[in-house]
Amino acid sequence: MTIGLEHFLVVGALIFGIGLYVALAKRNAIAVLMGVELMLNAVNLTLVAFGRFTVTDVALSTQVFVMFIIATAAAEVAVGLALAMVVYRNRDTISVDRINLMRW
Amino acid sequence: MDSVGYHLAFWSLAVISVGAALGVVVSRNLIHAVIFLILAFVGVAGLYLVLSAEFIAVVQVLVYVGAISVLMLFAILLTPRAARDNAETSMRYPATILMGLVTAAMVFVAVETDWAAVLDDPVAESPRVIGQSLINEFVLPFEIAAVLLTAALVGAIALAREDPEDAPLHDESLAMEARRPGPHGPGPSPDDGDGGGSA
Repeated sequence: MTIGLEHFLVVGALIFGIGLYVALAKRNAIAVLMGVELMLNAVNLTLVAFGRFTVTDVALSTQVFVMFIIATAAAEVAVGLALAMVVYRNRDTISVDRINLMRW
Repeated sequence: MDSVGYHLAFWSLAVISVGAALGVVVSRNLIHAVIFLILAFVGVAGLYLVLSAEFIAVVQVLVYVGAISVLMLFAILLTPRAARDNAETSMRYPATILMGLVTAAMVFVAVETDWAAVLDDPVAESPRVIGQSLINEFVLPFEIAAVLLTAALVGAIALAREDPEDAPLHDESLAMEARRPGPHGPGPSPDDGDGGGSA
């Protein structure tokens, strides 16, 4: 049995699902951000796998795309953790089910 | 592509990544969850190496393992009164159902589709090719990414900076800082301000 594209896609799908669960179900806001990072990693893995198993016009354009995703993810996690810090300072908690300031 | 080492590398790295991602879910301590997350990042970096994307693997280790994980550990350690039990909210069962549906759909599509995948030799000197296409075809996204990173840096600092006016009252060190008279110590250099110069 040879290892093909679908093997990497299945691994990416599993990591994405786990990240989705972490992002949706965890109580701590930092754990939610961890789930988002897992999902981004799964997407990056899928993209790199597609780039390895297809022929593109511009060589390695998928890897360039993945680099931009990594840069955006770094910006996202920096701002997200700063927001968590602000919420913690004002409310003394970062549990997402206790941050109900805007609940009607 | 069918050597034993290739199979061994793929399967071990796949098990490590998915298992570590599961460890993020099941571990009952937030610090342990971050450790598992680092392990998952390392596993995905190894999978990039298996896909002969060396540059992305190095960037993954630098950015995710080196920077983002440390940032998350810092955030956890800077929120000492928050719960660290890595518990779930009441959305656990809907999230489980949604995760199962999404994962099943993606695995089904990945397995059942005829991808017509072609596997030719990996691009030689891929960091050089990536660098050249970054300043040729992708120069505008490259500059926008630079602006985005700068904006995120400034925004994160502006958000996380403690405002001196609305400092919380229970923070004793800040309260003491406020009570202290302004310029302290007659010494001209700041090194001997409090230590020996006041005696």
